[in-house]
Amino acid sequence: MISRSSGLQIERLSKNFGGVHVFEDVSMRIPPGQVTACIGPNGAGKTTLINIVCGVLSATSGDVLLDGRSLLGLAPNKISRRGVCRTFQDVRIFPSLTAVENVLAAFPDQRGEKLRCLYRPGSQWGVQERSNRETALALLDAMSMRDLAERAAGQLPFGQQKLLALLRAVVTGAPILLLDEPAAGVELELIPRVTGLIRRLAKDEGRGTLLVEHNVDVVREVADFVVVLQGGSVIAAGPCDHVLRDERVIEEYLGRIYDA
Amino acid sequence: MDHIFFLGTLICVWIIVSVAANLVIGYTGMLAMGQAVYLGFGAYAASCLNIFLGVNYFVAVAIAAVASGFVAVLTLLPLLRLEGMYFALATLGLNFVFFDLFRNLGPRVEGSEGLYGIILPAALATPTAQFFTTLAVAVLCIIAAARLVKSPLGRALRATRDRPDALLSLGKSPTAYHIVIWGVAGALTGLAGGLYAATLFYIDPTLFTINASILVLVYIGVGGLASIGGSILGPVLLITFTEALRYLGLPSTLMGPIQQALYGALLIGVMIFRRKGLVGTHDFQE
Amino acid sequence: MANALQLLTIGIGIAGYYALVAVGFAIIFATLRIFHIAHGTVFIAAGYLFFFLYRVYGVDMLWSGLAAIVVAALVGLAIDKAVYIPVMRRGGGLFSVFIASLGVSLIFDAGFLVYTKGVITVARTAPLAIISVGGVTFRALDLLVLAVVFMVYGLLYLWFHRTKTGLAVRGLTDNRGLAAVVGMNVGQTRTLIFLVASALAGIAGVLTAYDTGIAPDTGSRTLFVAVVAVILGGVRNILLGTIFGSLSLGILTAYAGFFFPEWVTFGVFSTMIALILVRPRGVFG
Repeated sequence: MISRSSGLQIERLSKNFGGVHVFEDVSMRIPPGQVTACIGPNGAGKTTLINIVCGVLSATSGDVLLDGRSLLGLAPNKISRRGVCRTFQDVRIFPSLTAVENVLAAFPDQRGEKLRCLYRPGSQWGVQERSNRETALALLDAMSMRDLAERAAGQLPFGQQKLLALLRAVVTGAPILLLDEPAAGVELELIPRVTGLIRRLAKDEGRGTLLVEHNVDVVREVADFVVVLQGGSVIAAGPCDHVLRDERVIEEYLGRIYDA
Repeated sequence: MDHIFFLGTLICVWIIVSVAANLVIGYTGMLAMGQAVYLGFGAYAASCLNIFLGVNYFVAVAIAAVASGFVAVLTLLPLLRLEGMYFALATLGLNFVFFDLFRNLGPRVEGSEGLYGIILPAALATPTAQFFTTLAVAVLCIIAAARLVKSPLGRALRATRDRPDALLSLGKSPTAYHIVIWGVAGALTGLAGGLYAATLFYIDPTLFTINASILVLVYIGVGGLASIGGSILGPVLLITFTEALRYLGLPSTLMGPIQQALYGALLIGVMIFRRKGLVGTHDFQE
Repeated sequence: MANALQLLTIGIGIAGYYALVAVGFAIIFATLRIFHIAHGTVFIAAGYLFFFLYRVYGVDMLWSGLAAIVVAALVGLAIDKAVYIPVMRRGGGLFSVFIASLGVSLIFDAGFLVYTKGVITVARTAPLAIISVGGVTFRALDLLVLAVVFMVYGLLYLWFHRTKTGLAVRGLTDNRGLAAVVGMNVGQTRTLIFLVASALAGIAGVLTAYDTGIAPDTGSRTLFVAVVAVILGGVRNILLGTIFGSLSLGILTAYAGFFFPEWVTFGVFSTMIALILVRPRGVFG
């Protein structure tokens, strides 16, 4: 169900909001089957980067390519259908839908969402829905959230909502995932589920993941590559171990994290 | 006895309108304040097809319903970029725009303000027949709507209501759902309009003003948002209740104002104490 | 040619009434974001009270007018305290407040309908003095209305720019959150906003009742034109915007009323929709 991709390429991307430079000349690659973490202080533009890739914001210059085709200028839902799916820092699950409904809402190409299929005998939308539901419940089960399936998502604790949002993105089948702080706010004992899922998505399903994260332990746990964004540009990029041991990075960024 | 059947028919008509309105307002979260436009369009379209072109009334109503759906989508398209209060205001404005259109350009019988002379088929010829036919149509609409809201489409509508931006990130278009459900609601409302015209036997533009749009809001506001049951409960309770008021022996000139004041009080009460309505599932925060 | 000027004069005349109703609505909308559709109700409540005191009870005209204005201010405030604040306190948003406002209008309009049996109520006993200048006729009352508008706007300007309370109100139009942080008593300011705005509507109501009279639906009619005036002028500069909007709408409705009387409603609301679509912030926004 997951389509293949040769990866996402961010080329010399720059963004300024009327004089305020958020970042300049940022390039990075999100290869399939690998987890690329993007770290950096708050306000460095990590979420803005995701917003641009996903079509919510426009780029000032540069390009974003998926399998060689530019994504710039496309509507967010078109980009998602091309195969790039993101999560939000502030979660944004559907509060009045139950947990399982939240996951179900994300399945692509549902016949039951088409009006003409609903009333046409033989469209088999019910069969597809039942199958999707089984998949959704299994996923919730894997996150140990099966018993929360019928609870309104708005009433779940923040950490569970975060997991739910992650499952939603997973279920779209997108080969490229952009995860905005998936571990932030998640209870300590649930974090291994997050890291486990992210690793499985990369290694077992071959998805390419961009992970924006402040939690260095999570980064160390799942990331293959790390890109450090600070002061509007990439100050370091490379394999996870190298970057996390880089003196500049430790001094500028990690040091502050450990002090705080 | 005829009068009771007439009342029953009216209730069924307003149930259909309420179900439609709840689909767009309760389930999809669109602040629609102009449903009377499509009610009127359906009524006029069906009547004209029958009176001036001799089309069998059932066929006329069916055509009118489809046409209403199209007109609904046409009126929605320019408004798609609006949100919240601005959208509500624009749909509110449509009431007045179409009122003048109906009044100045609307077909009418010579020498009167309105239209009459529908040739009714047997199944709509007497109050009794009208009631049972309209009831049957209402039941079909209820069943169809219930299937819709329980389906993945219904879920997508609620997701659109909750967080359209998140829906975009999942590859789906809130706009597409807005258009689909608005068209469906427009068609249902137009259908109700056709049945309404048959029941009243005389229609004129004053039936389809902002007051009618507000009436629907009261029905689903009280009955309950995002609930088929609420769409049924609202009209049943309120139409029956206002009818019962008649038997209190108050002068008939007082009936209209009393009803209006009552509905005003209900709107206030619902907005303060229970925006969910009686059996609604959505407590809107807007 | 004379016709055009005459229509212009008529337009300016009615613009005066719109200006008085619109500015109150604009202040409430700009500061609190509340779509106070019941403002039209306050407007005619004052008119009816004025008529009641002056013509039915024989109270001196000036005192009747003043009493009506004061009551209008209190009624407007009461609506906020009894309806809008409870709605918002229980989690209702701006649309819910709007619907509740609609409910208030329905109740009051029903009451007025019963009281007057739908007949237009005119408070004036004597015919109005007519003035003729250069082929254009108007009434002495028109001059009075314009004088009142001028005075009201002037006082509002002074209030907004020279007094602490007025500056507090202006502060709310700029940034609600900021005002709260600076420690202004939003509650008191809110009370003042409703009192002032409603009193202004009251003035308009008294004058209208005296002039051409009022009917139960005059409130909504006038209010909606005032709303379009506010949308047209924008609320970035309340006084300038409302004057501009009111003048435009006054003149437009005068012309439309003469050439296309059947289509005035259509025109007003098409304009509103067009404005919302094209420039919701208005000309000066």
